[in-house]
Amino acid sequence: MSSPINHRRPPAAAAAAAHRPINGQIPSPPCPHLADFRARNGSKPFRALQACLRVKPPGGRAAIRREPSEVPRCGACGDAARPRLFACMACAAVSCHAPPGPSHAAAHAEAMPPGHEIAVDVDRAELFCCVCRDQVYDRDFDAAVVLAQTAASTLPASASSSGGSRAVVAPENLRKRRRVDYRPWSPDPRERALMGSFSSPLESVPTSDLPRGLRGLNNLGNTCFMNSVLQALLHTPPLRNYFLSDRHNRYFCQKKDGVSGNVSKRNVDGAVDGGHGSKNGSFCLACDMDAMFSAVFSGERMPYSPAKFLYSWWQHAANLASYEQQDAHEFFISMLDGIHEKVDKDRLRPQSQGSGDCCIAHRVFSGILRSDVMCMACGFTSTTYDPCLDISLDLEQSQRGSVKAASAKSHHSCNGEAECMNSSQNSGIPTLMGCLDRFTRPERLGSDQKLFCQQCQVSQESLKQMSIRKLPLVSCFHIKRFEHSSIRKMSRKIDRYLHFPFSLDMAPYLSSSILRRRFGNRIFPFDGDEPDASNEFSSEFELFAVVTHAGKLDAGHYVTYLRLSNQWYKCDDAWITQVNENIVRAAQGYMMFYVQKMLYYRASDKMGAS
Amino acid sequence: MSASREDNTSPDAQLSSHFFGDLLDSIIVDIASECHRIAKLGLDRNLEDEEEELRRSTQARVRAADPSNSGETNSKYVVDIFGQTHPGVANEIFDCMNCGRSIMAGRFAPHLEKCMGKGRKARLKAARSSTAAQNRYSRGSPASTYSPYSNSTSTNRLSNGSTGVAGEDLSNGTSEEP
Repeated sequence: MSSPINHRRPPAAAAAAAHRPINGQIPSPPCPHLADFRARNGSKPFRALQACLRVKPPGGRAAIRREPSEVPRCGACGDAARPRLFACMACAAVSCHAPPGPSHAAAHAEAMPPGHEIAVDVDRAELFCCVCRDQVYDRDFDAAVVLAQTAASTLPASASSSGGSRAVVAPENLRKRRRVDYRPWSPDPRERALMGSFSSPLESVPTSDLPRGLRGLNNLGNTCFMNSVLQALLHTPPLRNYFLSDRHNRYFCQKKDGVSGNVSKRNVDGAVDGGHGSKNGSFCLACDMDAMFSAVFSGERMPYSPAKFLYSWWQHAANLASYEQQDAHEFFISMLDGIHEKVDKDRLRPQSQGSGDCCIAHRVFSGILRSDVMCMACGFTSTTYDPCLDISLDLEQSQRGSVKAASAKSHHSCNGEAECMNSSQNSGIPTLMGCLDRFTRPERLGSDQKLFCQQCQVSQESLKQMSIRKLPLVSCFHIKRFEHSSIRKMSRKIDRYLHFPFSLDMAPYLSSSILRRRFGNRIFPFDGDEPDASNEFSSEFELFAVVTHAGKLDAGHYVTYLRLSNQWYKCDDAWITQVNENIVRAAQGYMMFYVQKMLYYRASDKMGAS
Repeated sequence: MSASREDNTSPDAQLSSHFFGDLLDSIIVDIASECHRIAKLGLDRNLEDEEEELRRSTQARVRAADPSNSGETNSKYVVDIFGQTHPGVANEIFDCMNCGRSIMAGRFAPHLEKCMGKGRKARLKAARSSTAAQNRYSRGSPASTYSPYSNSTSTNRLSNGSTGVAGEDLSNGTSEEP
């Protein structure tokens, strides 16, 4: 399970990936002059600079001023307005640098004895090598800047318990467990004997070159919303592995519930079921999932009828129990909730969903979202964490006039986003990454939505920004294609095409990346940066299922496309057909399922099956 | 800089032009400095990959729109991947786990709705009798809206039935099979 899914990557991407910083470390070594400076002075001069770092909230750009009201001037020409003024790190002399004109900063470095090569941009807090004539970067310098910037966003040490500069409380439940190597399981002699006596191997089927687990689902009457989601879940790798390795045994579960076997009842698939749930109010969606997995992976190719599952789900979701067609996403959330609730009632598991310790549904789908609200007046930032099972995204408005869109974006961002032009804005096609960009963009809350600021002690206009603190094993993206207008009292479906990639790197949407951008892309471990280098792949995801909706709001049809061994299959209720990947690319995605490319294992607290 | 032509060389015009130039230079350096940092630290997004993906999807859409290719996208199926065919309404027979009767798969949901006393018609029927109404309120909890992160509000539903306004007659499930 730890083998990465093979996927072709253009050479440029591989090269770029090699330079990607791990936890904000600089991939390339410092220039010889900076190295020299560090050897001679260590990081003391950078820390000493902290007293001169002035941060203008909100947005937190740092400038260097000896006094708050100082107007720096070039020592050589008296100019205060050339685009760049540099203060020498050795003697604090201020010089200008504005090619193609003469560089007084370079002249200073040349004229002085060795040691005056490194200077700092007084308006941007960036290091500069006057000999290389290039901006240079240093971890300790950046740390000093970030500390000054974050001081503005938190309460002073005396007022808050967490104190000082980094008052961000990591979400509970992110216990650090030791990472272990994957070891494939093999049965021991006792298990081998058990398997031999109580089970029989599945017959090989004639169509054995087709993957196991491909099986149509009968439409029970307007139930394609359910079938489409079930097909995606039946092929969600961690979920499939969980059920197929007997982690939830339906016979054992029923026995525990004290439900007596009712052998005379013929059930779907002719299987003997314990009559679990009939009329005694007790049902278990996980047991029904277990039965479904067994049936679907049995090798039998005639379509399966998920009737028992429907029955159990209707008992769980009483308000959704009706013959009319439902929304696939609502069903998805409801059934995961059903699996969670049952587990909660049975065992004394922790209720917290963020860690995924409570049930398999959360273990697979639960991630943690971070929400930051920043006061526009003083810069104080309050942070909350919430678990989420999926991410619902607004469908981007079509970008007419990309220039307008770009300027609107930089107006909203804190420090002036340099990467405001991306390809989707230029071509006008909404993309999943574009939606995620919007999702994590700083959003100015209007003057009618003022929030109380703990520092100012009044309600202020604020800036809100979402980011992903912890990625789930499987990310489900739900596109809000339903538009409801309360003014016009009508609802409509947005059919606009959305591009979604087959491979997705979630790194730009992580809390660590969002925070890093907010504080000027400094080299600094931000909330969520993992100390170990193996983090490099854990934000890469591969698409494995797409639930699509075709047709109108009140007369439409759900179909799921599955990717197995890089081959795409169309699951249309009972009909399974093979399709070219371009059909999937062109389809109207409603829910997209991505799984982490690399799965890492952590040491378990307890041995044996749970 | 909308100074009229005659004022081009006036001291005021020159001064404002000078300040504007300084501001513009400063902004340009801001962006250059940020881009330099992003590039040096390897934080830039791989736009080539993204553009390639977009190109592929555009081509795919063009091909899908082409009528000569409609064989794959058309919902008219001849045989499935295993060589089987399936009727418009699923005809597997099994026992209802609520009442025990033999039901055909494709008609199971409407049967179960009445059988369990769920659904709009059954609810309306139940509302007329007072004891039944009492039972309805004391029965199990409604499904909890899952995420506290409030995006899955009930206004964002793509249902295939009607939007469930009370009193409206539901078109009784248009068959989705072609």
